[in-house]
Order: sequence, then structure tokens, then C-alpha cells
Amino acid sequence: MKEEINVRMYEGLFLLDNAQASLEWDNVVKHIHDILQKNGAEILKSEKWGEKKLAYKINGHKRGTYLLIHFHAKHSAITTIKRDFQLSDCIIRSLIVKDDKIEELSQVVPAEGGAEKTIDKLPEPVEKDLQAADASSKTADTV
Amino acid sequence: MTKRRFNKTSKCRFCRMGIDEVDYKDSQNLPKLTTSQGKLFSRKRSGNCAHHQHSVKVSIKRARFMALLPYVT
Repeated sequence: MKEEINVRMYEGLFLLDNAQASLEWDNVVKHIHDILQKNGAEILKSEKWGEKKLAYKINGHKRGTYLLIHFHAKHSAITTIKRDFQLSDCIIRSLIVKDDKIEELSQVVPAEGGAEKTIDKLPEPVEKDLQAADASSKTADTV
Repeated sequence: MTKRRFNKTSKCRFCRMGIDEVDYKDSQNLPKLTTSQGKLFSRKRSGNCAHHQHSVKVSIKRARFMALLPYVT
């Protein structure tokens, strides 16, 4: 019973080095998935947001590629996951947030093919976000 | 007894849209809640209720960390 409570749904957003991401995208994604799976996380969904201009320079990087991953993990594993991401070279920044809203959705949907259905129901329309973000970054440039 | 007047529409934009928690990836709404310098609008200026203003505050700070929004422009 305790283990069930400890396992939660998390959402991770990763900002990746553009040079490495454009050359060997599959390897970079595999590297991130390996880190998560090594710490006992179960990946439900992983999607590329695409290349974007950053709002400010980070260690000389002006552009970066975003990767959004939803995963199940024990809360005790999160600290080690975060440390591993900090140590890896291709990741510029990472943010891991608890996501209870999607967990509720996955509980409502029956177990068979549950992951796919939750993917359909995800609230954020990513492409629209990206377009809007590009537009906002352009406006930011003009300002 | 005086008659009580009710505002039918809520002032808070997120209450009107029926959004429970503001998402830090929501790049359509979040820039509208910051000044041209990148500062947060006050609750008085944005018209948000307490719950959503708190949620906006948290999500803007997350978006800034991930370089989706600027700290200062």
C-alpha cells in the first residue's frame, strides 16, 4: 500500500543542447530515457517540442531543443534522477514537476490501453503553444 | 434589507475559462500577465482571484527558469 502511494506521476521538461540534439537526436533521447529507467521510472509519453529561441542566454546557448516526458516514478528516486540530469552534458536545464491532473485522468480510463487514451486527453496543444511561443519570442525581439 | 447585487461574470480570466491550475507551458496566457519588462502584474491589475494569482506566480517562475519567459528585458 505504501509503495502505491509513493509512486506518482511526474512531468519533466528538458532543455537540450542544440548542437548535439540536431546531430544525434535519437541518442540524446535514449540517454535521457536510460537515466529515467535506471532509476525505476516508467515512461508514459515522450514528445519533442522542437527548437526554440531562449528568452535569455544560458552558458552561451541562444537556442535550445525542448523535450517533454511524462513518467511514473517513486518520489524517493526523484533526487537521484535530478542529480543524474545535472551531471549529463547534453542537458542544459531540466524541470521535474508533480502532475496529479493527468494521474486522475489515467485512473478514470480503464487499464487496457490507458496510456494511449491519456495521451489523447492531454490538455496542452503543443503545436499551438510552439507557434504562440515563437510569436511571443519574435515580439520580445522587437521590444 | 438592502438588495444584494451580483456580478454574473467573474473578473478572473482563469475562472471564466474554467481552468483549474495555470500551466507553466501555457505560452498564450502567461506573457499577458507580465509587463513589458517581464515583471508580474499585481492582483489588482490582472484581476485574478487569489487562487489563480498564486498559480500564475508559480507557473511564471517555472517558465522563467526554463527560459520560456525572460527574467528581465
